[in-house]
Amino acid sequence: MWLELALVLIILPGIIILGNNRLGTIIQLFALQSLVLSTIPLLIHPGIHAFVMAVATVILKVFLMPAMLFWAIRHVSIRREVQPLIGYGKTLILGGLLIGVAFLISSKLDLPDKEISNLLIPSAFSIVMIGFLLLVSRFKAITQVIGYLIMENGIFLFALLLLEKTPLLVEMGILLDIFVAVLVMGIIINHINQEFGSASTINLKNLKD
Amino acid sequence: MAAAIFLIPQDRFKKIILLLTSSGHLLATVSLWPMPRDIQFNSFLGFDALSQLILNLISILFFVVSIYLISYLKEKRRRSNRIFIGCLLCLLAAMTLVTMSRHMGLLWIAIAATTLLSAPLINYYRTPQSIEAAWKYLLISSLGIALGLLGTLFLAISAISIKTVFLGDILNNATVLSPSWLKLSIIFLLVGYGTKMGLAPMHTWKPDAYGEAPSPVGALMSGALTGCAFLAVFRVAQICFHAHLQRFVMPIFILLGILSLGISAVFILGQKDFKRMLGYSSVEHMGILVLGIGLGGGGIWASLFHMVNNAFAKGLIFLVSGNLNQIFRTKRIENIQGVIHRFPITGICLIIGFLVITGFPPFGIFYSELLILKEAIMTRQYMVVLFYLLFLSVIFFGYARIVLNMALGQPKEGHHHGIKEENFFMVMPLIILLLVLFFSGIFVPGPLYSLIDDASALLEGM
Repeated sequence: MWLELALVLIILPGIIILGNNRLGTIIQLFALQSLVLSTIPLLIHPGIHAFVMAVATVILKVFLMPAMLFWAIRHVSIRREVQPLIGYGKTLILGGLLIGVAFLISSKLDLPDKEISNLLIPSAFSIVMIGFLLLVSRFKAITQVIGYLIMENGIFLFALLLLEKTPLLVEMGILLDIFVAVLVMGIIINHINQEFGSASTINLKNLKD
Repeated sequence: MAAAIFLIPQDRFKKIILLLTSSGHLLATVSLWPMPRDIQFNSFLGFDALSQLILNLISILFFVVSIYLISYLKEKRRRSNRIFIGCLLCLLAAMTLVTMSRHMGLLWIAIAATTLLSAPLINYYRTPQSIEAAWKYLLISSLGIALGLLGTLFLAISAISIKTVFLGDILNNATVLSPSWLKLSIIFLLVGYGTKMGLAPMHTWKPDAYGEAPSPVGALMSGALTGCAFLAVFRVAQICFHAHLQRFVMPIFILLGILSLGISAVFILGQKDFKRMLGYSSVEHMGILVLGIGLGGGGIWASLFHMVNNAFAKGLIFLVSGNLNQIFRTKRIENIQGVIHRFPITGICLIIGFLVITGFPPFGIFYSELLILKEAIMTRQYMVVLFYLLFLSVIFFGYARIVLNMALGQPKEGHHHGIKEENFFMVMPLIILLLVLFFSGIFVPGPLYSLIDDASALLEGM
């Protein structure tokens, strides 16, 4: 019951992000999504392992990464997405369709083990797809990074299916890798901004055949 | 070791440390030679024949590149090389971890780390073009790698009955894995690690990144880093073969291979930029590697042999392009002419590199390409044979038109902005690589031969 509610609360910010153009709001919504996400391990398998995962998620995804993204938008002083590749309305409709597709795919797959909740796999697929859509449909480097992070949140949900089977060390390594990825991306966004005067990847079109 | 780099301010000391680390790494790798093929340190780390083969590649290339960097960094003194050398050493550590990991999750972590560590290396010059290349590389590779993580998780779900993703356990129990999740996971893993390797539909970052990265970095990426990605793809193939999914996965490998060959053939023909051409050439050779695995049988041996020779040949030709860049200050092909008249050693290496990489008879790549052709004929896949020959000859033609003019044409007057003559550190690495190529391709020593035999037996035994 609580698990289902939490899963819905994870998908909702994703959908709102698709229709939003204010970067600050998008980052806050991402932090909210990650906060709800961090409670899920505790809901599925309460225990030490789940607790460590939850704390690590909160520290990295709710505090550090949003703080870094806020620092980046202050630094390059942009507030909103100007011209998305696909309009907001169309993105929302596409997002809805993708969620439908996610449910369709997951009904075809059968879990070899007992099911935790039959909402878990479809919502993980939906979030991966929403993140992917955001990544390909926007031009601002920061929105693309957030799309990548939302995708990672979806993958994290999949990982929770296997919480008892994977060693803690490996999960920590994965979280660390994602954190460093955001760090490196942040630095390069800064370089893009210094070089082109705006952090929009529309400018990146010198290299082609 | 790498952490020390960030603390030392003087450029000269950092270079010495780089050289010391790389020679230490090489010595450690060489000391592994007399040991048995399979070494397990603990459940996470260990070696088998394939990882030893790739570790040797990485170690030799890194050593040569670190010698080359001594003069190269002197030339580019505009900014401190603290981040550059630090990332380079961390990259070496991450690549070693890739070869040693015996756990699919750990393998993913190490490969993601190599992506992140090589992005700052591409962005060394901080020109608009190199920033663009680094951003594309980072975004496309991260996306691919994220799909690879998804694939790893699917693999773990399919292995839910054995409760681990240690490589050994999966291979031993491959037949009990749940097939629908396993197939899904294989597709995601191939897309993910294929992006990192630069296979055709996911190759778009490659010409940009190779074109804009400093040449020594290009040498490392096209030789060592693709080797690491190939190792991951090979592991995926290993799991498939153990689970008796050959019929499902072999057509995918063949399709990816032919597609890579075709796309690189089209783009090499009209290329105006030498280093971008090398990027497409790398796409081509990665295509040949997966094609060899897709054909199976003797193709697997040929593909491993091809990987060894390709890595050293790419190293050679990228370092040559570094020399050309220092001499002519341009990558445009029409501005580089008559290298051999003024800079004989660089010119000769350019021609030899070209002959090796396009598979000219006495060299190793000719032999492996021939073996793959033979395997395709033996398995009666005549469409594959047709496309393979067509694309290879188009690529040879495209290469010959470009390189022969660069090397042998009449030198233009008044076009020199760079250095006037070759120095010791520019030439020395080229000669080492020529020697290595001689031993890896023409006169293959027994130990290398048996190492490749053992590595291909990992797949062939099925």
